[in-house]
Amino acid sequence: MSRLARLGAFIVGTLAILAVGVFVIGSKEYLFRSTYQLNAQFDNVAGLAIGADVQVGGVHSGTVRSIALPHTPGGKVTVVMDLDRSTHEIIKHDSLASIETEGVLGSQFVAISFGSADQAEVKDGDMIQSEPPLIMADLFKKANSILNSSQRVIDNTTLATAHLNSVSAKIDSGQGTVGALVNDKQLYSNLKQTTTTLDATVLEAQAGVTAFKENMEALKHNFLLSGYFKKRGYEDSASLGANKIGSLPLNAPIKTFSYTIKQIFDSQDTAKLTNEKTLKAVGDFLERTQFGVAVIVVASGMQGDSQKELTLTEARAMVIRAYLVDNFGFDDTLLKTLGMGKQIDASLDADWGSIRIIIYPAGTILPVDNAPLAASSSAPKIDKPLQMPVVTPKP
Amino acid sequence: MSDRGLTAAAAIRPPLPEPQAIGISSLLSSAKRRFSHFFEWFGSLGVFSWQVLKAAITPPYEWRELIRQFDEVGSRSLPLVALAGAAIGIVISLEARYSLSRFGAKSMFPATLVYSVIQVMGPVITGLVVSGRVGAGIGAELASMKVTEQIDAIEASAINPYRLLAATRVLACILMLPLLTLAADACALLTGWFAQALVEQLSFRQFVESGFRGATFNAFLPPTFKTAVYGLIIGIIACFQGMRTRGGAAGVGRAATNSVVLASLFLILADVVLVKFILVFFP
Repeated sequence: MSRLARLGAFIVGTLAILAVGVFVIGSKEYLFRSTYQLNAQFDNVAGLAIGADVQVGGVHSGTVRSIALPHTPGGKVTVVMDLDRSTHEIIKHDSLASIETEGVLGSQFVAISFGSADQAEVKDGDMIQSEPPLIMADLFKKANSILNSSQRVIDNTTLATAHLNSVSAKIDSGQGTVGALVNDKQLYSNLKQTTTTLDATVLEAQAGVTAFKENMEALKHNFLLSGYFKKRGYEDSASLGANKIGSLPLNAPIKTFSYTIKQIFDSQDTAKLTNEKTLKAVGDFLERTQFGVAVIVVASGMQGDSQKELTLTEARAMVIRAYLVDNFGFDDTLLKTLGMGKQIDASLDADWGSIRIIIYPAGTILPVDNAPLAASSSAPKIDKPLQMPVVTPKP
Repeated sequence: MSDRGLTAAAAIRPPLPEPQAIGISSLLSSAKRRFSHFFEWFGSLGVFSWQVLKAAITPPYEWRELIRQFDEVGSRSLPLVALAGAAIGIVISLEARYSLSRFGAKSMFPATLVYSVIQVMGPVITGLVVSGRVGAGIGAELASMKVTEQIDAIEASAINPYRLLAATRVLACILMLPLLTLAADACALLTGWFAQALVEQLSFRQFVESGFRGATFNAFLPPTFKTAVYGLIIGIIACFQGMRTRGGAAGVGRAATNSVVLASLFLILADVVLVKFILVFFP
């Protein structure tokens, strides 16, 4: 081997060792990998050193590039970290940086938690949130104060137990009110008697309430008061919604009867029928035909209070229904009512409102819609006994 | 031992100085002489260094001689340096494993080995081995050229001996020592890992991963390239001792010995300063 070749081999060999060393350390320093920077601020970095690990989900994914003290006393210590590009998809804006210790007395490292999927991705140089590090000295201080206070708690408990002991001893020996209560048989039998009496009283009260209800019903039919209900056209406001539906079925009707309020009702603001005979055509049709559902739709003009008008239209629909059910023979469960309240239409104002009785073919399904029920002025109807309180003159 | 032997020994030895009356004045004058010798040595070293620097940076350059010296200092020292490094690797491996397992920190073994080899042992061992081999070689070679008046002959043929002899050797030492250090480090780490892998399961990849964990360029490059300063010390002192030799074969021997002793001594003293320097400027 010539001198030159030997020298060349030596130089190439040693420079190769240099290159390997540089690359091994460079890869640890993330010098030859695509990285991005993140910042985090802490009140205290607990001895974190430049070049310390940054772990994402426990995997070494970067290093601490620099640590800068704040410029003002109120500021925070800023830690700048170089992170591997591959962590970019995991770390989001809500990721949390914390300083942790390897084991109990190991070196410090920064741990960054995974972000939420719906959060924005971090950009190079962004600041992420941090949580204060757990400092051993603080922990010991806290543990010390906890131990002190728990010592006091134990002392107090001991004292309380002693008191309790003396109290229970007194009770046991029959001293004081509680002692008498516990030890006196007479007191117990008194209490039992009182409870029995109370039971009987409650039963009597229930009977009284039922009687009162009946009295009220009788009062409605009393000649002094029946005028009011007669004039109004119906007695029980609670049963207004008994056969109400939320909206009309979507099927095409087989027949529609249309009337005005003026034609059938006594006045503009009551639900009292006058020319109910007009409805005979409807009753006859219902008797003759096999129908699925029939709906009485009542609407009023723009005059009057919205809420009152809604109640009134519901009441009118119910009154018409009661008349038809009472005077004609058909399946009354198929006849429904729908009070529309105020509707915008000039002709409605002139005629006080409109009545339509829409008859649908067999197989029609009522739409399930509870919203208008909830908005209804009438009280809940589910658990009310179905009454037939409508005052209708016999034809 | 016979009388003849004694007289022969006495004849070889330089004549002893006349026994003097021991007095404070003579002690003082002796101390003064040694003191001035000490500073004279440093003064001549300074002048010599300046001459070498001047010769090194001005053309013409002695390329052929430089390459010969690269080979002499670099590639011919490689086997010795590699062997020394390998031995050091095994020694540290055995010692560290024993000490670390006593403290229950055996997982720190790779890092301990890597750090002690790269930062301390590799550079120092390389410096000392090269100072022994190359320092002695340069000192003896130049000293014998000096006593046989070859240097005078070079000067007479209008060639600057500082340029031809000293500058090439110093430059070769400066450039080759970092490379030799790298070789020594590599050998030490390999044998260190090997010695460890013999007694317990430790893959090379695992060794490198945990050994270089948290390693920085500041832990690797400054300690390696500080050996260029060792090279400067070895080259300058060996050339200086060789070229100022006087007094025949005994002078040649003295020059060789002094080269090695002084170069090694200054090398270790310089290391004290260099370590502090690196800690301050490359934290």
